[in-house]
Amino acid sequence: MGAISAAGADVPSTLKGFAQGSRNHCATLPFVSNLHCPTFQAPRNLSCPAPWDHSSRTLQLAGVAVREALADAGLTEFHPHVRVGVCLGTTVASQLNSLPFYDAYRRMGEPSLQPVYDFLGANLSQTVAERLNLRGPRMTVVNACSSGTDALGIAASWIRAGLCDVAIAGGADELNQVPLAGFWSLGVVSTRPCAPFDGNRCGLNLGEGAGVVVLESADHVQARGIKPTIEFAGFGAGCDAYHITAPHPQGRGLRGTIQSALAQADITPAEVAFVNAHGTATVDNDRVEGTVLASIFGNGLPILSTKGYTGHTLGAAGGLEAVFTVLGLREEWIPGCAGFTTQAQDIPIAPVRQTTQVRGEYALSTSLAFAGNNAAALFRRWK
Amino acid sequence: MNFVSQDTLPSVSVLGFGAVTPMGRDLQLVASLLGRPPAARLDSPLRIADELLSDTRTDRALRRAGRSPRMAVLAAIDAWDEAGLACRDVAADRVGVIVASGLGPHERTFKFLDGILDCGDDSALPTDFSHSVHNAAAAYITATLGFRGRSCTVADFAVGFEQAVLLAQVWLAEGACDRVVVGAVEELGDVLLHVLPRMLASASIGARTVPGEGACFFTLGPSAVAGLAELSATARRDAVDLFVMDEPALPSIASPEASPPVRARRAVTFSPYFGHSATSSAFQTLGGLLCLRTGRVLGKDVHSARGARLTACIKNPLPLGGEGVLKHALVETPNPTASVDSVWVCKRSSRNESLSLLLTRPGI
Repeated sequence: MGAISAAGADVPSTLKGFAQGSRNHCATLPFVSNLHCPTFQAPRNLSCPAPWDHSSRTLQLAGVAVREALADAGLTEFHPHVRVGVCLGTTVASQLNSLPFYDAYRRMGEPSLQPVYDFLGANLSQTVAERLNLRGPRMTVVNACSSGTDALGIAASWIRAGLCDVAIAGGADELNQVPLAGFWSLGVVSTRPCAPFDGNRCGLNLGEGAGVVVLESADHVQARGIKPTIEFAGFGAGCDAYHITAPHPQGRGLRGTIQSALAQADITPAEVAFVNAHGTATVDNDRVEGTVLASIFGNGLPILSTKGYTGHTLGAAGGLEAVFTVLGLREEWIPGCAGFTTQAQDIPIAPVRQTTQVRGEYALSTSLAFAGNNAAALFRRWK
Repeated sequence: MNFVSQDTLPSVSVLGFGAVTPMGRDLQLVASLLGRPPAARLDSPLRIADELLSDTRTDRALRRAGRSPRMAVLAAIDAWDEAGLACRDVAADRVGVIVASGLGPHERTFKFLDGILDCGDDSALPTDFSHSVHNAAAAYITATLGFRGRSCTVADFAVGFEQAVLLAQVWLAEGACDRVVVGAVEELGDVLLHVLPRMLASASIGARTVPGEGACFFTLGPSAVAGLAELSATARRDAVDLFVMDEPALPSIASPEASPPVRARRAVTFSPYFGHSATSSAFQTLGGLLCLRTGRVLGKDVHSARGARLTACIKNPLPLGGEGVLKHALVETPNPTASVDSVWVCKRSSRNESLSLLLTRPGI
């Protein structure tokens, strides 16, 4: 696993930050803006070695997480015959949204084309696959905020279908002025540090980062003679078919998505030790998600949102939260849901307030997104 | 015919298809136009007329949508409608959607940027932002048609449509979906139209490229369900009736002995009719399907600099079961009257990579 976000520059420092309950939000923005709101920023100087230097920030964040994940998996080199897939989610990096370029176009009509070439040369999965000289399927998933979780599910499907032996999966996104203005325009950005599932929640804070896991086929694991620690046990995804931004009021798509993930693993809700929820701290998301989670798992299940440590990292969120979910299973504890203090009247479940022991084999990570996308990834501690 | 490489996944059945093209939405008319010489001039981008984007069934639901979601929804509706009985009893949560788009709804993105530049970060319009996200087309397809299965939007500048077909094969093979509506959409916005000539002037293939926009969707099911054709991103044959290339002209082969050629009786392209875009191989697939449906070779013949014998050299770094393999198509004796039962659709990117799709008449 590899992770970089405001919660930590790598997995060990993230774990340390979780244990301390550190919230590293920042009052200043890394770009000129008339907005005043906290954001969660990864370290500014990433000091990326080749081949990740001279890249976009999103690619550099991805590069940091991919390097850590491959090193953690003991896969720093691949035999030429090993097929390695790359499936990464993103949002900002998929768009041609350079304000300097567009401003120059409006003023002069003949802007420098370099931002366009930079954009065309920065497809996340393609670039990662090329820079690591990998041979296997690749895909850049742009399902908005569920991109990272969807990418994990697709990568797992590739392995099950025999299309690759190993897959690098997750997501990456940099903090960017355009989506910040966009979420602000929707009225869902909080001017205070976010408070997931809280009765006084008033919106999200944007963040940035990358979270990557390395998935490996059972045959490849066996051939390497290693003992895995976590199994990707199930995946579900489905649409609300309701609205371009708002979740279905009864969480129709999310409910089916979670049930699909449980069915794929052939387990009951009672076997899930905890849920790492999407928990953006927006009024709608947390009400719908909390209601669905309570109806499936009961209101005694430990749940948390890690957005209080990372902000909403958009395309990276699913990848980061997969890493955090695996950490919870491995370490047998989850951090308190940073920002939560007050039980919400409209949510029939409350997240954990402090570091909590979790025992059990399975844990679930959920993602909800624009376009009514829902995705759920289920992980199992390897026995 | 023999398979020449591993076929790791079952092919899928094409149950219906629909498209919004520069030549219209009526695919019977499109097929007849593809049988004639292309009308496009090299300096005329192939855009979709605004009147083509209106449909009484969807106008209300799409009133806030930009060109990209409109084109995608109309093409997806046609693809779903044509599948008809083959999809009648399929549950909504068993229908998946996959949309490939290189540039997404960039016109709306720039409109949102207008808001930021004119009014500031705190005053841009929320509708422009929500409709500028890359998966806006998928959102409108699922909401309009009521699909509640898996949905994925793929961003790629070279082989996004091929990746989408591959994912549809995976979803159908593993039983995650019973049907998948898969396709591609690209729009040509004002900014792109303004900068493209400069970009193409400096590109090696620029002078031969006509930019295009449109949407093209296919309703896919397991191969056990009878359909119009079988489609696969993993199957290979050592000979096909028709080779469809996403380029108006092709490079000669660097090392033709590197691997056995895929033999084709004829090679064509549909680029002069539909235009070129990041995901235009969806339109090449559409052209190939129309060849299968009509039993005629449509499109514009492709000839290499060395005549009709050697047509393409493709390095495939997405091996799907093997190493990077050099493949090339060899058109030995063009046969204008040959029937069309198998079509190999291939796109080569500027990075010299490709994935290819095999279309075959069912039972062949």
